[in-house]
Amino acid sequence: MKPLTLEMIMVMSIIGIAVFLFIVEWVRVDVVAILVMVGLPLLGLVTPKEAFIGLSSNAVVSIIAVIIIGAGLDRTGVVNRMVTPLLRIAGNSASRIIIAICLAVAVISSFMQNVGAAALFLPAVQRVSRTLKIPISRLLMPIGFSAILGGTVTLVGSSPLILLNDLLVPFNLKPFGLFDVTPIGLALVGSGIAIFIILGRFILPRGESESGETASLAKSEDISQMIGETFELHTPADFTLYRDPVMVGDLRRRYLVNVVSLVAPPDFKILNPEPDVEIRSDVDIALCGKEKDVRRMAEAEGMLLKDHVEVFKEELAEHSSGTVEAVVPPRSPIVGKTINEYDIHRRFGATPLAIYREGDIYRSDIGDMALRVGDALLLHGSWKRLQGLQKDRTLLLTTPIDVELMRPEKAILATAWLAASLVMILVFKIQLSVCLMAGAIGMIVTKVLSIDEAYQSVDWRTIFLLGGLIPLGIATEKTGTAAWIAHAVLGAIGTVSPIVLLAVIGVLATVFTLVISNVGATVLLVPLVVNMAIAANGDPRMAALVVGLATSNSFILPTHQVNALYMGPGHYRSVDFMKAGTVVSAMFLVVMIAMIYLFY
Amino acid sequence: MCIITISRGSYSSGKEVAEKVAACLHYDCVSRDILLEASDRYEVDEIKLVKAIHDAPSILERRGRKKETYIAYIRSALVSRVRSDNVVYHGLAGHLLLRGIPHVVKVRIIADIDRRSAMEAQREGITLEKARSAIIADDEQRRKWTQSLYGVDPWDSSLYDLVVKVDRLSIADAVDIVCDAAKREAFKTTPASQQKMEDLVTACAVKAALIEEFPEVMVLSEYGNVIIHSASGGRHAQKIRKAVGALETTIGGINSIEVHADGNAPPGSV
Repeated sequence: MKPLTLEMIMVMSIIGIAVFLFIVEWVRVDVVAILVMVGLPLLGLVTPKEAFIGLSSNAVVSIIAVIIIGAGLDRTGVVNRMVTPLLRIAGNSASRIIIAICLAVAVISSFMQNVGAAALFLPAVQRVSRTLKIPISRLLMPIGFSAILGGTVTLVGSSPLILLNDLLVPFNLKPFGLFDVTPIGLALVGSGIAIFIILGRFILPRGESESGETASLAKSEDISQMIGETFELHTPADFTLYRDPVMVGDLRRRYLVNVVSLVAPPDFKILNPEPDVEIRSDVDIALCGKEKDVRRMAEAEGMLLKDHVEVFKEELAEHSSGTVEAVVPPRSPIVGKTINEYDIHRRFGATPLAIYREGDIYRSDIGDMALRVGDALLLHGSWKRLQGLQKDRTLLLTTPIDVELMRPEKAILATAWLAASLVMILVFKIQLSVCLMAGAIGMIVTKVLSIDEAYQSVDWRTIFLLGGLIPLGIATEKTGTAAWIAHAVLGAIGTVSPIVLLAVIGVLATVFTLVISNVGATVLLVPLVVNMAIAANGDPRMAALVVGLATSNSFILPTHQVNALYMGPGHYRSVDFMKAGTVVSAMFLVVMIAMIYLFY
Repeated sequence: MCIITISRGSYSSGKEVAEKVAACLHYDCVSRDILLEASDRYEVDEIKLVKAIHDAPSILERRGRKKETYIAYIRSALVSRVRSDNVVYHGLAGHLLLRGIPHVVKVRIIADIDRRSAMEAQREGITLEKARSAIIADDEQRRKWTQSLYGVDPWDSSLYDLVVKVDRLSIADAVDIVCDAAKREAFKTTPASQQKMEDLVTACAVKAALIEEFPEVMVLSEYGNVIIHSASGGRHAQKIRKAVGALETTIGGINSIEVHADGNAPPGSV
C-alpha cells in the first residue's frame, strides 16, 4: 500500500469540506461544486483541463440533451399522453401515483441510462404535481431513487454493471448474464418503493405542489374546489322566448358560473365572451363553475348538462387554454380600480373567475371590488391571450409555466427525434451524448421548440453540480486517495466471514460512489475485492457483484446524477437526501446482502 | 296576484280603503300584526317596534342605531309575510320596505287637511285648531322618520304608483281604482319578480340576524348568492365571517355567503 501523501490529505480535506458545506448549506450545492472545480487546479491536484472536463463529459452533455428532449416532448403534449394512462390506473391517490410512476421509471431505467429515464419523466411528474396538487417534493425523490434502483435490474441498467464483466476477465471468472441480477434488482426496487409508501410522510420533506411556489392560493385552498370545473351545456330551443334576454353576466351573478365559451348562431364560437353577450336558444355553452351551481342553473334555466365537453373540446384542451393566477403588483395602474373599471375582460380577453384576498376567495360580484396590491385574480383564457397579459405587466402571472404555447402538431416530430436518438444508442452504439444531442438539435431544427426555449429548459444548477464533482473524482483517483482508503479499510478488517466481507465491501462501495463516479469506484474496487474474496475463501464473483450493485447505492448526497437532476425542481436540500437517503441506503445494503446470501 | 302597499296619513281613510281592497280582491290585509310577528320572532317589546316605526330617531338614537335594528326586524317579518302575494299592507313605509319588487302596487291615500282635522276633532273632542296642529305634527314626525332613514319625503308622489285623494273621489271610488290597478299586467307576479322577492326575504333575514352585532353591514342577495358588505375593514370582516357560518343552515334560500370588506354596497342592498 502506498504511504499517505500530502496530496491525498488535501483531497480528503476537500471532500470533507464539500460534504460539510453540502450539509450546512452556507452556500448552495452548485456553488460548492464550482468552488471545488476551481479549488482543485489551484491546489495543483488536477490540471486546468481536467478541472473543467466535467462540463464536456459524456454524462453532463447527455443530461443537457435529455432535458431539451424532455422539454420538446412536454411542449408537444407527448408527455401528457404518456402520463394520462398512468394516472388513469393510479387515480387521485398519491401513493398509487408514486407506485405507478416509480415502476414505469424503474422499467425504463433498467434498459437505459438512469439519468436519461429520470430526465424524461421530470416534465411528466411536474405536470402530475400541478394537476393533482401533490407536492412535487413528495413525488420526485421516490421516482429519482427508483430510476437509480431500476439500474440494478439488468446488467445493462447502469454503467458499473455494464463494466462488471470486463473487469472479471483478468481473473478468468464466469461472466454474468443479462438477467442474473434481476432478482436482486427487483427486490431493491420493490423495497425502495415500499419504504416511500410506508415511511414517506416521515422521511420526505413537506413541500408545495407545482405552481404554488409564489401563489398563496395553492397553499391554503384547492383552486379547483373553489372555482369548480369546466362543463358544457346546451340551451333549450325556447330559451329566449317570453323572457328578458339572458346575458353571460346574468348567469355569473345568479349562479356563480363563468361562461368561458359559447356558440353564436349559426356556429361561430366565441371564447371568453364578455358579460354583455346574450345567451341564445339552442346553442352550446361551456362554463367554469362548481357542480352544484351548474346543476342549479341547468335545472332553473332548462339547459341540458352534457356528460363531457364535446363542442369546445379543442378550445378548452389543456394545450389551448387554462386558468392562471395573476397578482396585483405594487404601482400597477390597476390598484384601486375594479375589474370592470379596468375592463380586464375586454382588454385581455380573459374571464375573471375569482379574487383571492388575505386568505379568502371571492366569487360573487368581483367586477365591482376595488383591487388592492397582493390580490390574486384567477383568470381563464387562451394561452395566446394570457401571454398578452403576461407581457403587459399590469398583473404578474404566478403560474407562467402553463402559459407556454403548446405545439401538439409537432408531437410526431418530437417522438421521431426521440426514437432516432434511441435507435442510434441501441442499434448503432454511438456514444450516448452524441445520440441525445443529435435528437435535441433535431427538435430545434424542426421547430419543435426554439433554441431559446431549449436554453431556458436546462437547469444550470444541475449542470454545474455535476461538472464540479467530476474533477473531484478525478483527483481522488489520480492522487491515489481512493486506492489508499480501500486498502486501508480492507486491511483493517482482516480475515472475516464471507458475509461480513460482502457487507464491508458494500459499505465501502457505497461511500466511494457518494464522492467519486460510480464507474471510477467500480474500476478501483473490483480488482481489490476479488483478491480479498479469494483470500478469505469467499466467492470472488459475488464480491465483484456487490461492488457493481452498491456503486448504485448513492442516495445520501445529491452527488448522483439523478439526485442532482431532481434537487432543483424538487426544491430539496442536502439534508432531505441525507434523511431519506440514509434509510434507503441501509435498506439497499440489507436487501442486497440478504438476496445474495439467499439466492446465489 | 300582487302585493299592495297603502301608505297613509292619519285620518286619510287609508285603513278603510285597504280593508275594502283586500275584501274586494280576496287578499289578506295586514298592518300591526307584522309588528306582533317581529316581536315574537326577535323577542323585542312590541311597543319598542311601534316607536321605531313611527317616531323619527333622536340624535342619541341615531348614534345607537337601535331604531335601525328594530326596523330590520320589522322589515324581515314584513317581507316574509308578503312573499306569497295576495296581500294588502297598510302601514308606515311599506313602499320603502318593499322597494325594488316589481309586483308591488305602491298606493298613497291622502285627504284634505280640513277633512282630517274635523275627523280628529270629532273623535278626540278637541277644538278644530288643536286637531289641525296635532295632524300637522304627526305628518311632520312621519316625514322626519322617512327622511332620516331613507332620505326621501313621503309626500313625494314619485315614490308611488298611485296617489288617490279621498275627497271628491269617495272611498268606494278609491277602492275601485286601486283594485283596477292591481289587476294590470304591469303588476303581475313573474318568475323574475318572485325571485327578487325571495332574494329580499333572504337578505332581510340575514341583515336581521346580524344587525345587533354588526349594525353597519349591508346585505344583498341575488338568486341566493348573499354578499355582506362591511365598511369596517378586514379584521371586522373575519368576525362577520364567523358569525355567518351558521346562517346558511338556519336561513333558507342561501346558496353562498361572502363577506366583502370594501364597504361599497351596491344599490338594492338592505
